[in-house]
Amino acid sequence: MTSNPVADRAPTPSGVADRASAISIEGVAHEYAAETGTVRALSAVDLAVTAGEFVSLVGPSGCGKTTLLRAVAGLLEPAYGSIAVFGEPSRQARRARSLGLVTQEPGLLPWRSVEANVHLALELSDAGGTASDWLRRAGIDDYAALYPGELSGGMKQRVALARALAIEPRLLLMDEPFGALDELSREELRLELLSIWERERVSVLFVTHSIREALLLSDRVIVMSGSPGRILEDVPVLLPRPRTDALLADPAFVEAEQHIRSLLRAGA
Amino acid sequence: MQEANQLETAAPTRDPAVRRATRISFSTRLRSVARVTLPPVVALALLVVAWEFWVREREVAEYLVPRPSAVFDSLRDDPGRYATASRESLTAALGGLIVASVGAFLLAVVMAHSRLLERALYPPALMVKVTPIVAVYPLFAIWFGFGVGPKIAIAALIAFFPMLVNGLIGLRAVDPAALDFMRALDASRWRVLWSLRMPSSLPYVFAALRISVPLSLIGAVVAEFLSGSSGVGQLILIANGDFDTPALFGAIVVLAALGVFLTGIVAYIERRVLFWHESMTDP
Repeated sequence: MTSNPVADRAPTPSGVADRASAISIEGVAHEYAAETGTVRALSAVDLAVTAGEFVSLVGPSGCGKTTLLRAVAGLLEPAYGSIAVFGEPSRQARRARSLGLVTQEPGLLPWRSVEANVHLALELSDAGGTASDWLRRAGIDDYAALYPGELSGGMKQRVALARALAIEPRLLLMDEPFGALDELSREELRLELLSIWERERVSVLFVTHSIREALLLSDRVIVMSGSPGRILEDVPVLLPRPRTDALLADPAFVEAEQHIRSLLRAGA
Repeated sequence: MQEANQLETAAPTRDPAVRRATRISFSTRLRSVARVTLPPVVALALLVVAWEFWVREREVAEYLVPRPSAVFDSLRDDPGRYATASRESLTAALGGLIVASVGAFLLAVVMAHSRLLERALYPPALMVKVTPIVAVYPLFAIWFGFGVGPKIAIAALIAFFPMLVNGLIGLRAVDPAALDFMRALDASRWRVLWSLRMPSSLPYVFAALRISVPLSLIGAVVAEFLSGSSGVGQLILIANGDFDTPALFGAIVVLAALGVFLTGIVAYIERRVLFWHESMTDP
């Protein structure tokens, strides 16, 4: 099923196939109740993410990528199929505090300072770190005493990222985390996320609209089509790491980008 | 990373050190307070002076409209009487406000967690709200006697509903992204209530207090009218019976002052508690 558009110029990330499973999605379908009956949001989705892998979901609005991510997070129960996170139901993964969630809206508590917001994550989990340590790692320790209302959108998202990382998750679920940001902040945070990922080696499931963002970040890009949402193609990205914006002009990158774009156009 | 930090710190106000250094001085603050309080005080003073002149000039009968100076004399003649009455009315109003606010908020917490209980309890609460509270007073007098009890009950009853409605809305008005984050960490209902729902509801709680503070005062005075046993309401009844219009005005002035006092306290606490809320940002 994979026509690999990206030339095999980079080695496969150290034996992905041998590693443990982070997410295993089998035959997941979901429907929403609407006034006009039920709306199919997802149809027969199968997907496996191995531990340490960075996988992006791209697709048009309403293709069910957010629904899929929320199902993995255990925030909604899919109508059909099964989801295992580290070999157990999502509920168990939540109990074990192995899921870090970052959404488009940062969801910070405005009455808590930046530091106290990160501390909330520690209060809710058994993670041993300190809030100030995580703020330092995210490069925002100068802002510890400020309140979310005093921060820019990009800074808020940094805090949300630090908060999600503070629980030391094994799986980071990100739903268009940079979607509401300006181009410059997006770029900064993308680089930040990459360096964090390379350091911590958590598994990441990343939902985005942006093909470029997906290609610059991911090991694999899952291309989805809309109504009902299903997977069109699983595109491996074998570009060398660390990746920078210099890749944007790379022929392999451009080819992959065009391939995904044509898939989306045909699927829409 | 380095670049990122430089970019962010380019905006000076975001740096905590800079913010501390630019903390507003005492005299600037005094000036800004004066800017807010002076105009209404001057306007009120002018009104009182104009009123005094009008009554003297036209020789308006005192039992109809007394001179402000006569009202002031009446207040000065027996300040102890007004003070005692104020204390009694204030106790009833505050007591009712506290009972109502705590009770209504707890009920809102219950309703916020169960649609079934909300459906079951909301209509009866609405029924209590639309019932004229004056009609309930005789019953309360039988139940609670003639002391402060029925006054607190009436004040509580009238102040209950705003807190119930606002509390319920506030407890539900949580940021969905924050709720998702907490749920992804398997936070318990209690944890979500304590760390997310209750703080989120505070702006609504204070909005309710702005409504229910004057209402509780109304409730207390109405109960005093009906019982005629104590408080500023009783002073008004007596002054009315004596055709002592200056004393009647005096009592009204005292009630207005109590209302301002209570509202002022609530506004002060609100500013302290809701410093993070967008309604509190300085103009």
